[in-house]
Amino acid sequence: MSLENSATESLPGKPEPAVDGGWNRVHPASPFVRGWVALAAVGFFFGRDAFERMLQGRDFLDPNLSGRVPWLLAGGGVVLLLTVGGFILSWYFTRYQVAEGYVRVNTGFLFKQQRQARLDRVQAIDIVQPLLARIFGLAELKFEVADAGESAVRLAYLPLDQAKQLRATILARAAGVVSGPETTEEIPEAPEHVVLSVPPSRLIGSLLLSEQTIGILAGAAVVVVVSVFTQNQTLFLALIPGILGIGAAYWNSFNKGYNFTAAISPDGIRLRYGLLDTQAQTLPPGRIQALMVTQPPLWRIFGWYRMHVNVAGYGVSGGTEGAARTMLLPVGMKSDVLRMMSLVLPDPGVEDPERVFTAGLDGLGPAGADLAPGDGYVTTPRRARLLAPLGWRRNGFLATKTALLIRSGRWWHTLVMVPHQRTQSMALHQGPWARRFGVADLVLHTTAGPVSPRVFQAGVEQAVELFDQQAARAREARKRQTSEQWLAQVAPQAPEVAAAIPEPPAQPEPPAQPGQSAQPTQPQTSPQEDRHDG
Amino acid sequence: MHTEAIDPPGVQWLRVSPKYVTVRLVEWAIGNVLMLAVLSLPLIFVLLGWWRWPPLWLAITVPAVMLVLALWRLVLIPRQVRAIGYAERDDDLLIRRGIFFQRTMVVPYGRMQYVDVAVGPVERSLGLCTLKLHTASAGTNAQLPGLPSAEGARLREQLSARGEARLAGL
Repeated sequence: MSLENSATESLPGKPEPAVDGGWNRVHPASPFVRGWVALAAVGFFFGRDAFERMLQGRDFLDPNLSGRVPWLLAGGGVVLLLTVGGFILSWYFTRYQVAEGYVRVNTGFLFKQQRQARLDRVQAIDIVQPLLARIFGLAELKFEVADAGESAVRLAYLPLDQAKQLRATILARAAGVVSGPETTEEIPEAPEHVVLSVPPSRLIGSLLLSEQTIGILAGAAVVVVVSVFTQNQTLFLALIPGILGIGAAYWNSFNKGYNFTAAISPDGIRLRYGLLDTQAQTLPPGRIQALMVTQPPLWRIFGWYRMHVNVAGYGVSGGTEGAARTMLLPVGMKSDVLRMMSLVLPDPGVEDPERVFTAGLDGLGPAGADLAPGDGYVTTPRRARLLAPLGWRRNGFLATKTALLIRSGRWWHTLVMVPHQRTQSMALHQGPWARRFGVADLVLHTTAGPVSPRVFQAGVEQAVELFDQQAARAREARKRQTSEQWLAQVAPQAPEVAAAIPEPPAQPEPPAQPGQSAQPTQPQTSPQEDRHDG
Repeated sequence: MHTEAIDPPGVQWLRVSPKYVTVRLVEWAIGNVLMLAVLSLPLIFVLLGWWRWPPLWLAITVPAVMLVLALWRLVLIPRQVRAIGYAERDDDLLIRRGIFFQRTMVVPYGRMQYVDVAVGPVERSLGLCTLKLHTASAGTNAQLPGLPSAEGARLREQLSARGEARLAGL
């Protein structure tokens, strides 16, 4: 029967060429890679005693137990057999299929679960390799749709090249390059073009100068002062768990941010990172709901920035994994930031995007009363400077043809960008103090994520005007966006695009020369322009 | 209703039913009477001489302050209900609320993922309902309480139909 056939076909060493139509299984070793903790626990439980005895130079087995050894071995064997049997069953009953515009996954043998997700609803697709899976050459594929919770589809584990192949298939179908359900030929992976990478030295430097470090130094200073005054040395002992935790946090950030590389391909933005566990994310074009660039105070010394994004499907999932996934750039120079901005928003909607973005990152409004805003950003009116004594010249917004830029923060420089067609809803807020000073806040609602766009303390007239205009702009932008299939939008070209995929996309400028050329690269690759879709 | 400064110009606001004041009063009574009762317990115990601590002035001050705050909220309820408004425009729904902390929200029809109509026991007895709009954003906390049932049903159908006509992806 075909099921058994497909099962034998997906044995290791035989990556399947065409995963289409038929049902496939994940790699047979995957339950062991996933459940190695359970196996290790069983081994530890039974092996610890014997191991300790060996260390102490005594008999391998407790002499008192010698009569009961067969029973113990039998018990251990049963537990092991049950575990392995469970693994095999769970592997056997996990099957997946990519067909007819859907990806389907069936799991479970007692409690069956069938799940299907529409391919054109893909928000992001990740290939994750935890350390152990990496050793075995396996990878996990995560498929996100717009549901800010768990991943819609997780396939763990596939051989790496098969996972890549599947990703290419899914993306090609989602993009509308391949439409027929019965195509069996191999879909080539979209070529990619590395745009920037983060050197480890800069990553370490950024960690050392992060907010975390400031907090730690402040905490340490408090402890030292207190211990000097109270002449109590044991206080330092209380620091040890804290130091361990901090070390773990730094290690985590380093592990996640190591070797960060961003690349552009017709499928979207590719991000790869990780020291021990590696991850490769693909964000199809137009899937980014909001973007935030921040600069902690100490990073200003070196001119570093970091970028976060909201992607429907990534959600706010706590923990380091979620934080890493919504990170678009862990640390970068301004040229890197501008380059990433140009990838996220290929059409910035202004003539001089570099000047506008720079003003958004570092600019300050005029201090005088009657000076016209020099950089285009509408800032908090002077009458409200008591309400925001530091930030009033910094808080500002600027609407381009395609996106709304919001800047804020005198110390923590922040620039938020929301493409017009991504705005979900909006609200104007005004409290009693704001009313007294004639200002109001405008909050844009976007999908769950680290970015929450808010225009702080804009003058009431400007805020109401923006509120009205922004609703109209969002409406217009949504009308222009027609299809979820980003390549199908340039429909007549689609077959050529598919055929032309092996060529690297033309890039007007060689990448990765940080410091030089702050001009943002415009990735005018063939399918890249003309899509404001999502 | 007079138009506040942050409202977009030229919007005719529709009010919610004045009967919604009753719903709010019931909610107010349940919350505050319970709270006051709990906070007054120390005062009773101190007066009866069972407790030495807290001192009498503290035992009196805490419930008294709470009482004043509760009365203040009570006085505000009718005005707060009057401040709730909504307006159907061609492409979006406007919702406003609040006196001190005002909020005006716009929800495009094409962005609505689904519409809820919820009815609590008090609302049901008064023939009211609460309409909730959901978009892909958790930040969209768009609620319209105190709609007459017929108006709620009409809005729900209307919004769903308009949403379908203008439906966009994310």
